[in-house]
Amino acid sequence: MKEIKENIIQRIKANFADAAEKNDFKDNRVDFSVKKETIPSILFYLKDEMGFIHLSHISCVDWLEEGELEVVFIVWSPKDKIKVFVRTRLDRDNPVMDNVDMIWRQANTYEREMREMFGVQFTGLVAPEEFLLEDWQGPPPFRRDFDTAAYAEKTFWHRPGREDAQDVRETIANRDGEEIPDFAKKYSR
Amino acid sequence: MMNDKNSQKIVDIIQNWARKHSIWVLAYGTGCGAIEIPPTMTSRYDAERLGVRGAATPRQADVLLITGYLTVKTMKRVIRVYEQMQDPKYVIGFGSCTINGGMYYDSYNTIKVLDKYLPVDVYINGCMPRPEAVLSGFAQLQKRIAEGRANGAQQYKDNLEWYRANQKKIIPNWIMPEYNW
Amino acid sequence: MREKATTLYIGPQHPGITGNMMVKVQVEGDTIVKARTEVGYLHRAFEKLQERRNWLQSFTLLCRFCVPEPDPVEESYARAVELLEGREVPERAKYIRVLMLELARIGSYMLWYGGQNGSLGLYTMGQWSVGDRNYILDLFEELTGGRVYHMYIWPGGVRRDLPEGFAEKVLRTMDYLEKRLKDYDDLMFDNTIFQKRTQGVGIISKEKAVEWGVVGPVLRGSGIKSDIRIDDPYEVYDKLDFIVPTHEGGDIWSRALVRRQEIRQSIRIIRQVIEQMPSGEYYNRIPNPHKWALPKGDAYARTEATRGEVGMYIVSDGGVHPRRIHFRGAAYVHGITLLEDLLIGENVADISAIMNSLGTCPPEIER
Repeated sequence: MKEIKENIIQRIKANFADAAEKNDFKDNRVDFSVKKETIPSILFYLKDEMGFIHLSHISCVDWLEEGELEVVFIVWSPKDKIKVFVRTRLDRDNPVMDNVDMIWRQANTYEREMREMFGVQFTGLVAPEEFLLEDWQGPPPFRRDFDTAAYAEKTFWHRPGREDAQDVRETIANRDGEEIPDFAKKYSR
Repeated sequence: MMNDKNSQKIVDIIQNWARKHSIWVLAYGTGCGAIEIPPTMTSRYDAERLGVRGAATPRQADVLLITGYLTVKTMKRVIRVYEQMQDPKYVIGFGSCTINGGMYYDSYNTIKVLDKYLPVDVYINGCMPRPEAVLSGFAQLQKRIAEGRANGAQQYKDNLEWYRANQKKIIPNWIMPEYNW
Repeated sequence: MREKATTLYIGPQHPGITGNMMVKVQVEGDTIVKARTEVGYLHRAFEKLQERRNWLQSFTLLCRFCVPEPDPVEESYARAVELLEGREVPERAKYIRVLMLELARIGSYMLWYGGQNGSLGLYTMGQWSVGDRNYILDLFEELTGGRVYHMYIWPGGVRRDLPEGFAEKVLRTMDYLEKRLKDYDDLMFDNTIFQKRTQGVGIISKEKAVEWGVVGPVLRGSGIKSDIRIDDPYEVYDKLDFIVPTHEGGDIWSRALVRRQEIRQSIRIIRQVIEQMPSGEYYNRIPNPHKWALPKGDAYARTEATRGEVGMYIVSDGGVHPRRIHFRGAAYVHGITLLEDLLIGENVADISAIMNSLGTCPPEIER
């Protein structure tokens, strides 16, 4: 396993000068950070030359404090039994990167979701604008500066009684004058 | 007056007796509660012995079973479906998330209180309610029908403006036909 | 003569659709010429809510990701957290987890039996298999207290030990199911309607399966031997003896056969697990959840569910609350893009059968 990891790092480093690797994981995993311009070429290289034919996951993480969005690609090689993480950082105010759905078809779905939820724009992505939400007027909801609780409070009706952690048993007993059975008292706070 | 059993006319009593023994549920699993519907309908719990069975289209159905949370996007379809259903029609709210939002109380995309948007006749609580609870909910609905108290549809008709205002508050792009029955 | 194309909306309220989603199809006569899926009816924004929950509270939400089979999701999350934190899991807990996962797999396939046959108008099968599934749910109930959502496999092990006499009950249930499987075969695979409606329908070729990133039984139904339990073994799967069935056809029939054989393998695994299960601790205690912070970093763990690869990507910023938890549903891949492509050229009547055979599960697409 160790040799395979070393070999992968060597080959990637030889071809992509800007790839910064990380290799101190307990599981079968190697990690590369690259510039966003390199993403399509490194993914093509991983898939076509190195046998990472399966795209496991694409994720996006909002690092609000650093003003950046991080996009992570996780690819898997059935031959070497190893997974490679390729990550890149985008500017949070203007997140634009290249579309990669010509490499893996299913990337299209991930990109649609990322566009809607994080506002990441993919150049050349052909897909309907709306994916999960309908007539959404707020900011991209998965960004950390969008406050879901405040939005829900403002938009929806709430049934009273959830403000504090009430003991439901006592409430019921007070309302109906009903005795709390002994076995239930044991669990009451 | 509707709520008083004594005020039922004899024809109402016969009608309600017939209605309570043939509850056709619209097969629309709006949320995760749909997973407990197949066990309820199949051999072990066999809801059909209470006259409860599935119906494929809204026009044939009597009960709209809201199985769990309703997202705003589904809400629009559910209202449309409810308005397509013909009288007599009842709504059962299924699961904690229809009652007070359940564990999604702070989600930006699910409604929290169903009875502000649709008239609910019976709530079944739990996450997930067991098939026994579902059956008991249906039995409760039957009882209410027999007593003439399951008058959600009438309530919806009477307070249509209030319901509409609530619905339009969460659905920004309102393209629906008028409700006229 | 060329027929005029008509647009049909299949769903979201449609008895044949698996769950709450919509397929908008253009048909010429009875043949689909264009299909477009529309999802989002079940979007509850779990991954947003987790910003406001701590690591253990998130776990309660997580199992709601996929309703028919919540255990692989719990398993993925538990393993990702353990990987990030470096928490050891007792040996017994690993065996109990495998037992849970395989029971969940059988339960999910039993439900699929009902769905697949119901989509073809064969309703007896659903009565039998969904009824028998209750025996598995009874086991779950005894073990975890819940029929559907178990919240049992959590970081550090499992929530409680097996009750007394549980193993015998499991074995008895397995014997019963094994007997029933023969009846299912007679009813399903020997049925001419089932054969005619599934053979040669919804074909996914080998090349296409790889290109579109198909996983799980669908991939194995296209003749590619790929299973995370073998390729990237987790828990104790490397110590167990089982085979991964594959079939070459790539149609609904092949996928049904793969699933059918996997039930048999799951029963085999369960018997081995019960035989080999060591005694000892079942839980490596986590600290007070309100103060439980994970080290900075990220981890990705994946599990083989009945629909394929179920993965959990977690990111921690060193705090009590997760920075990001991102779930990879198996149906996320083949439920949208693949389905749109696969439906072209098929009959309208087969939409439901194809969706069921892919195992499309909308809640895990939309989350």
